[in-house]
Amino acid sequence: MSLYRYLARRLLLLIPLLIGISLVSFLISNALPADPTAANLGERAAADPEIVQAFRDKWGLDDPLYVQYLSYMRNLLRGDMGTSIRSHRPIVDELSKYLPATIELATFGIVISILAGIVFGVISAVWRNRPIDFIVRIISLIGVSAPVFWLALLGLIVLYLRWGIVPGPGRLDARVIAPPNVTGMYTVDSLIAGQWDVFRNALAHLMLPSVVLAAYSVGLITRITRSSMLEVLSQEYMNTARSKGLRERHVILRHGLRNALMPVVTIIGLSYGNLLSGAVLTETIFAWEGIGRYAYNAARTLDFPAIMGVTMLIAVVFVVTNLIVDMLYYFLDPRLRYQG
Amino acid sequence: MRRFLVLLLVLSFVAIPLGGIAAQDEAVLVVGLSEDYSRLDPGRAYEPGGSLVYHSVYDTLVTFPADSTSEILPSLASEWTISDDGLVYTFTLRDDVTFSNGDPLSAEDVVFSINRMKNLKDNPSFLADTIASVEAVDDLTVAITLTAPDPAILAKLVFDAFSIVNAEEVQAQGGTDAEDAAETDTAEAWFNSNSAGTGAYVIESYEPTVQTVLVRNENYWGDAPYFDRIIIQNLPETATQKLSLEAGDIDIAMDVIADQLPSFESNPDITVFSTQSDTLIFLLFNQDPEIGGPMSDPQVQQAVRYALNYEELAFLSGEGANTPAAMVPIGFAGALDPSEGVAQDVDMAKQILTDAGYADGFDVDLEYPDFNYIGTDFNVVAQKVQADLAAVGINVTLVPQEFQTSLDLYRTGAQGFSLWLWNPDYQDTLDYVEFLPGGVVGLRANWTDENADQEILDLRDQVKVETDDAARIDLFTQIQHYEQESAPFAPLFQPGVHFAYRSDLQGFAYNGQWRVDLTQLSY
Repeated sequence: MSLYRYLARRLLLLIPLLIGISLVSFLISNALPADPTAANLGERAAADPEIVQAFRDKWGLDDPLYVQYLSYMRNLLRGDMGTSIRSHRPIVDELSKYLPATIELATFGIVISILAGIVFGVISAVWRNRPIDFIVRIISLIGVSAPVFWLALLGLIVLYLRWGIVPGPGRLDARVIAPPNVTGMYTVDSLIAGQWDVFRNALAHLMLPSVVLAAYSVGLITRITRSSMLEVLSQEYMNTARSKGLRERHVILRHGLRNALMPVVTIIGLSYGNLLSGAVLTETIFAWEGIGRYAYNAARTLDFPAIMGVTMLIAVVFVVTNLIVDMLYYFLDPRLRYQG
Repeated sequence: MRRFLVLLLVLSFVAIPLGGIAAQDEAVLVVGLSEDYSRLDPGRAYEPGGSLVYHSVYDTLVTFPADSTSEILPSLASEWTISDDGLVYTFTLRDDVTFSNGDPLSAEDVVFSINRMKNLKDNPSFLADTIASVEAVDDLTVAITLTAPDPAILAKLVFDAFSIVNAEEVQAQGGTDAEDAAETDTAEAWFNSNSAGTGAYVIESYEPTVQTVLVRNENYWGDAPYFDRIIIQNLPETATQKLSLEAGDIDIAMDVIADQLPSFESNPDITVFSTQSDTLIFLLFNQDPEIGGPMSDPQVQQAVRYALNYEELAFLSGEGANTPAAMVPIGFAGALDPSEGVAQDVDMAKQILTDAGYADGFDVDLEYPDFNYIGTDFNVVAQKVQADLAAVGINVTLVPQEFQTSLDLYRTGAQGFSLWLWNPDYQDTLDYVEFLPGGVVGLRANWTDENADQEILDLRDQVKVETDDAARIDLFTQIQHYEQESAPFAPLFQPGVHFAYRSDLQGFAYNGQWRVDLTQLSY
């Protein structure tokens, strides 16, 4: 099957999948035994039947569920994700502001995870049971098991307060003005605007949170890479390669790592999805205004349109990431290209 | 070569933070706040954190002293008179006030601001419930006519929602004070990044959940504030607020919790301010026997009040916490002295339970929202209540609930025995009639005009309209004594509230309404 047909089929499958996700998340958020009226009206306003009714009418809360869902989907097709009950701002505007912040953080996080995880994993496998292997395994164990909250605070206390080598929370220093908005990612936007000071500031602010965010996936990728490498290293063709007189480094990286990467790519894909959607704690501690915090706040105030918006967005991100992973398989493993 | 490049890259990463941004010449105040406001339209003002902004940007007709809410002072109105029947308040406006765009303040702006707030029918609109009409008598005179005497009206007028805005400018941005303003007013989005007030600052930018930036209002009628710019930075996590303050990146941490206080003591660069908050944490007993079970019995309610160890309960919430004698918090005019409160008396509690026919005790559920409020963990408080009541034979099963779910049940009066909190809507003791029959909280305990004693109903009706200060205090004293004897509530404590700021910052004062007046600070 050609790549294009494969891609087209996968993209078509997205449609029923996303409709299913929207339906399920709509039903779940509306099935909660709680009412956005109480969450968004103050004590007194909630005691005033006139205001409560006006609120319910405004947000269509009294309409039957299927009517609410259909009108939601109708608007969605027009690119309108509704208005936040809490902030009264369009969800599309809010998501387009918070998503780039998370993408920036998660992308730095995944790059760190991939580089560190693969390097650690290969080192650990090649020098199996040597001291370096134990050190790497301890690091990966800490990465997988240390609570994000603890790592973040430890990092802030040591690197920010004591040593002063990383800046404090936030995406920029409070006194630094954000670059003109193009992509919403400050590092990119500041480069576009040629504001080097802002770029350095934004980059410095990314360091600690992205390392903290990456800690778990570094550990995970290291472990997967290690075990996958160990399996590959024991294969016959490795000896064959060596016997052809290839240099050891070439054998390990070209023949070993390339074949060991399949399961690693899967984990990377999943990790990226997790980094994008599961960064609530990191984003809270580092005052990083991203999707994770947005989702948390939306759930806390029962802001249904916002909950729906962020759920759909994360679903799309997961689905697209999975698609990219599958595409990578396609390139990494030639056998897949010949299957029907 | 490649190694050199790698080294260069590593060095550049290390060097980045050291470079930083060149310091600017202007005086900047940076406030760390766990931001809780989602918009900045004064007509819709209700979220507590927003007061920091509103109070810096807008003025009201009258105001409070910087460090208390005990007295009403002139602000935009230089003086006022009250008609003999207590129904008409006539305010004389200062003649030297201009809005930030240079327009002079006139009586029409006051009329517009109040009517708009009322007609938006948003969260704060109830504050105008007793206002029948607002009229401009002449350019600098405004008459507010009430539907009935309202002893709290001046205190209400200090609230953010009564901020006076520039009518012409707001109308140009889609604002309206018409009766259908709830549907037709479109100025809200504009208010989120602009302001139209007479205060010391104007809003330069507001990036929700990131930061709010205020710059000095060049047309301000009062003394120019010290800081050119105020940055209110959202730092949702108290631990990071603390670190940022210690590192000198922020000047004030607005959300300090009691646990952090000891670590500040050894730091001469940081000053801590602690006081009891206005938040009242209390137990609610439902008066409806079908819902409250044994808890609806006034004798059982009294026994519970005697069974609790108030000192230990307040201790759970840390330094600064205090227990009020009844349902009027300490700090409000007419509140009983804390020493007059109910003291723990386990034998008395057991005796009352025996008299009520519960010699063998009973089982009951305690419902509460599973959350932490300004450093007070509701789970821990509930466990303490459980332990205290176990000592008198009441077996409490803890039923923590997701916040919104619990709030729903609470507001509809469906909880039999629960643990809650109340923050004042405005800074006057009158807000606490809500704990009486027919009041907002009274009804959540199903305490209605039908099942309440005539005595408390009379007291309630009198205090609602009594405008003489001495007579009000007398009525509130009687009400609180009644509550100590017979009310479906038990006050537990007011948690402490703590702020920390750089020690060389001058002019810090706490006020229950706006907490800290940022316009009065300097270095």
